[in-house]
Amino acid sequence: MLRIDIEKSLNDFQLCADLILDAPTTGLYGPSGAGKTTLLDCISGLNEPDRGEIIREGQVLFSSLHGVVLAPEKRRIGYVAQDERLFPHLLVRENLRYGHDLLPPNRRRFSFEQAVELLELGTLLDRYPKFLSGGERRRVALGRAILASPELLLLDEPLAGLDQALKGRIIPYLNHIRIDLQIPMIYVSHSLSEILELTDNIIVIEKGKILANGSFFSLMSKPELLPLFDRQRVENIIRVRVEASGDRSGLCRARLCEHTLKIPYCRITPGQFLLVGIHADDVIISLERPVGMSIRNVIKGQILQIVENDSVGWVHVDIGQRIVAKLTLEAIEEMRISLNQDVYCLIKTHSIRIGPRVDQ
Amino acid sequence: MLTVEELEVILLSLRVALCCVLVTLPPAVVLGWLLARCNFPFKLFLDGIFHLPLVLPPVVVGYLLLISFGRQGIWGPWLDFFDIQFAFDWKGAVISSSVVAFPLVLRAVRLAIEDVDPKLERIARTLGASSVRVFFTITLRLAMPGLIVGSLLAFARSMGEFGATITFVSNIAGETRTIPTAIYTYLNQPDGEMAVLRLATFSIIISLIALVASEWSVKRLRKR
Repeated sequence: MLRIDIEKSLNDFQLCADLILDAPTTGLYGPSGAGKTTLLDCISGLNEPDRGEIIREGQVLFSSLHGVVLAPEKRRIGYVAQDERLFPHLLVRENLRYGHDLLPPNRRRFSFEQAVELLELGTLLDRYPKFLSGGERRRVALGRAILASPELLLLDEPLAGLDQALKGRIIPYLNHIRIDLQIPMIYVSHSLSEILELTDNIIVIEKGKILANGSFFSLMSKPELLPLFDRQRVENIIRVRVEASGDRSGLCRARLCEHTLKIPYCRITPGQFLLVGIHADDVIISLERPVGMSIRNVIKGQILQIVENDSVGWVHVDIGQRIVAKLTLEAIEEMRISLNQDVYCLIKTHSIRIGPRVDQ
Repeated sequence: MLTVEELEVILLSLRVALCCVLVTLPPAVVLGWLLARCNFPFKLFLDGIFHLPLVLPPVVVGYLLLISFGRQGIWGPWLDFFDIQFAFDWKGAVISSSVVAFPLVLRAVRLAIEDVDPKLERIARTLGASSVRVFFTITLRLAMPGLIVGSLLAFARSMGEFGATITFVSNIAGETRTIPTAIYTYLNQPDGEMAVLRLATFSIIISLIALVASEWSVKRLRKR
């Protein structure tokens, strides 16, 4: 558990955070300039808050009251930023070993070989960082941070600047770190989809203030937060199990609770789990099962909640899993959508984004 | 080829120049780091003081050294007490050329340290390295090309030092006579021309070797 209650002024910006982080993985979401990096710097010890305290698992990292400021190297908090900050004068191998070798062997939680295997760094070890590609650099930075055996990992926009395909390839590594190595992490991003692919616990920060702290759907139920989320299109991230792929139909079948979801063709062996993204504005709600339409996915569900904000209605539907549809207020009124009503969610196969693979 | 006397001059010059590098580099690294990374009161003033020898006539620097560290100088009695003598001694030549060369070294080192991305130092801290370790494994290592260039500058400045040295420690054969003062002496002798030519040639060779060696090591470091 991480307990943060701090204030920090920087020029005319003020950060004011009062939080308890309980979940192993937490996403920190907010637009750029919201104070995300400042908050991380205060946690890692690279920056000192003006007032307050930070306590992690009973250990006081910072306390203005008791005059405690623990040096960053004593906090055991790893940090990975979008600019990887690899040491240019050291080989990949030496970069990876930098923190690892500083630890007494009995405090090392992972072996060098373990990290190299997990992040598939074997072929890169004897290169200098400047001969690595963007994705490789990120993996080395992750490996270097992990090998220092952190008790908390701070990831500051670790996927920023990578193209979609590369992002999809890095996220499984992050999931490995999260699940296999069980390192708690705080994942900072200005992309909600990215966070949701890793965790459902989200902290929303804007202009130095913590606006909310909770699960995606609990936040989506707060009308005042919706404009913030809707700066990018809100995307439902759903975990499915691939059942069959590559038949002549040009699509894959995936299981989503008791429904079968037809997703675009992708090379994934049946039985594997996958995250798919469905934008809230790509979900059509129908009161009756439509016929004679090209839409491949017609899924019966039940209305759980309707959240209205300004001109937009956000309809939460239970299809075995909760998804959000973005509708106009006129549609909601005309269709007389009400709670617990049975509806059909219509989702075009090609509006489904294939996300990263996940375990189980 | 060279007479014993000329060989002595060249060896003394090399000794003074190498000592000058050794004497100026450590304080230049400390001060360069302070000036590059820290903010403190009177920083500009301090910076100015250390750059003064760069703009002052070397003879003035030599004179100031003489009235401070000479036998009759301000610190003379103290130096006498510890039985240290600079005037008319090769160590005095090291002092005078070090003072003159220091701003050049400081500048090179400071710029090199300023060039090191502080983010690299910060990330090293999160990996468990203390600030001292970060300084030696990251900052100093990345600033190494600057340190090499600074050393070359000190070496070259010391090899060429004339004004401050001759004023402070005079021009005594076998004691304080370096290549420039020797050339000056031989030029004033009727049969000294061949000696001047030989010393000048050696001076060029030494400078070339130093230049090539520093370029080579900087390139080797930069290759990474």
